[in-house]
Amino acid sequence: MSGASLELLVERTDTGCALRSPGVGTFTCPRPRGAVIGEGEGAGVLRVLGREVTLLVPSGVLGRVANDPPTRVRAPVAYRDLLYELEALVDVEAAASRVGTPDAAVEGGLVLRAPQTGRFYHRPGPDRPPYLVAGAELAAGVPVGLIEVMKTFTQIAYRAADGLPERARFVRWLAEDGAEVTAGDALLVLESA
Amino acid sequence: MFRKLLIANRGEVAVRVARTARELGVATVGVFSEADRGASWLACFDETVALGEAAPAASYLAAERVVQAALQTGCSAVHPGWGFLSERPDFAALCAQFGLRFVGPSPGVMERLGRKLTAKSTMLEAGLPVVPGSDGLLADVDEAVALAHSIGYPVMVKADAGGGGRGMRLATDEASLRTGFAEATTEAASAFGDGGLYLERYVASGRHVEVQVLGDAYGAAIHLGERDCSIQRNHQKLVEESPCPALAEDERARLGERAARATAAIGYEGAGTVEFLRTPDGELYFMEMNARLQVEHPLTELTTGVDLVHEQLAVAANQPLRLSQEDVRFCGHAIECRINAEDPARGFLPTPGTLTAFELAPDAPSVRVDTHLAEGEEVSPHYDSLLAKLIAHGETRAEAIELMLAALRASRVEGVSTTIPLHIAVLESEAFGSGEVDTSFIPGLDALSAPRAS
Repeated sequence: MSGASLELLVERTDTGCALRSPGVGTFTCPRPRGAVIGEGEGAGVLRVLGREVTLLVPSGVLGRVANDPPTRVRAPVAYRDLLYELEALVDVEAAASRVGTPDAAVEGGLVLRAPQTGRFYHRPGPDRPPYLVAGAELAAGVPVGLIEVMKTFTQIAYRAADGLPERARFVRWLAEDGAEVTAGDALLVLESA
Repeated sequence: MFRKLLIANRGEVAVRVARTARELGVATVGVFSEADRGASWLACFDETVALGEAAPAASYLAAERVVQAALQTGCSAVHPGWGFLSERPDFAALCAQFGLRFVGPSPGVMERLGRKLTAKSTMLEAGLPVVPGSDGLLADVDEAVALAHSIGYPVMVKADAGGGGRGMRLATDEASLRTGFAEATTEAASAFGDGGLYLERYVASGRHVEVQVLGDAYGAAIHLGERDCSIQRNHQKLVEESPCPALAEDERARLGERAARATAAIGYEGAGTVEFLRTPDGELYFMEMNARLQVEHPLTELTTGVDLVHEQLAVAANQPLRLSQEDVRFCGHAIECRINAEDPARGFLPTPGTLTAFELAPDAPSVRVDTHLAEGEEVSPHYDSLLAKLIAHGETRAEAIELMLAALRASRVEGVSTTIPLHIAVLESEAFGSGEVDTSFIPGLDALSAPRAS
């Protein structure tokens, strides 16, 4: 075996966290109820098309297994099926909420927001450089990113609207390259130029 | 027949395939991404398996996840629908490797049809006319220039590995050919990892005419008539009809026979579509063969009474074709309108959102409605914008147009913009009424955009 591995998906609950399947496959070698499992440890095996993938406990997680994981040898599981409920032994908040709310970080600053709900890209094509580098000057019509809505790609151009000045300077990205965004989400931080 | 079938698709396609499977007593397994979790159309399957996140590469295009889902639910076959994994030879091969029957042609045939130049030469050998051009890949730009001289400008250089309009350049003279050649080869190399180009004569306008074919594992093939899909925007079909109003009876029969003969000649199994371009002077050229069920397949189902998904499953289950060419009877005229969540007055801008009203073709029992959506549901921004298809069937073309117009006018979709107003404008237009259309324009579109734009 090549030693392939995948991190379990983590979701915060009232008493700790839930670890869910990161893929589709048959699940074997679960850790039993009462076992203490933590960051980086193997917690079962997912067999996918005959290959074994070790399921790893993601970083920041430490807890006691509080449920009876699927016990059937090679239990079929789907994406996000519940494998473990963990009673927290440390605060799992850090692990479960690694994605902060971007708006909180930019209170008071200038942000450019998503015009539509879709997938946001920093670059015009996968092997092309990003539209913007820190310090880039923005004026009406300058492309700042690409949004994919229903398989249609549209360039987002800078506009001096919604409280944005005629000219601005690009500071940093808030939405990651390829991130799913909702109309109105902050995409990037700007400053007046 | 199969006991249990996995449907490797989503939305309207998956619902359509599940309907026939249910009628045949085949149990169904549906798959879904996180964006579709909880969607009402998932209720039409006997079981479902979550594949992964919303991005297609993590779910509907994740070949290994799909195959594993089929295996662990005890399926013996996989129906790919259209789009997503339907024309990926490597997916068909992966299914075969794990003992699953892929509902479609063999990976080898799919591979040959997937490469433009290979498809062209395969079909030329099988007896279909192709657009005049280079016999193979062009060695260099000088070869392209020499060839363009002999066949005459304008010409098109195209990437063999191309698709979606990339790696393609139109040239009207030697200078534009030299520039276009360089651009297309660079674009194709970066987009597809293969800069190989071929050249053909450019046909400026024409009709898109396609023939529905069925082949079996024993070398038999038949055709089920043609569809005309000339009303398009950016190569996306909007309105389709069957039969093609421009074809005379003998021309129609000849075209169908040729397509069926070619289908048999290449060892094609299952349902497929042979696409042709018909030039204004009546020449028909092979363009490509789609190795799958088509979005507009209901037209053929209404004019022939044949359930194409049933025939696909029968062929995949190694049954010989259940119909001979003589058994196929054509009846009346059918028109299909694709209702997309797009605003035709604003350059077909996609408009995802919540369907606050969704009533299609009420009180029109003779109009078929294929959809997976209902009032109150979300139109996700992740996937394509098709909301529904309306398919009207009348004794004559005029009657089909009337039925469709009545159905469109009575339909009510709110919460998202749709192509319904455009369809009404197209069907009311003189050009469509007389059948004089081609792929270069949409009759009625100008009238629709003008008042709002001002």
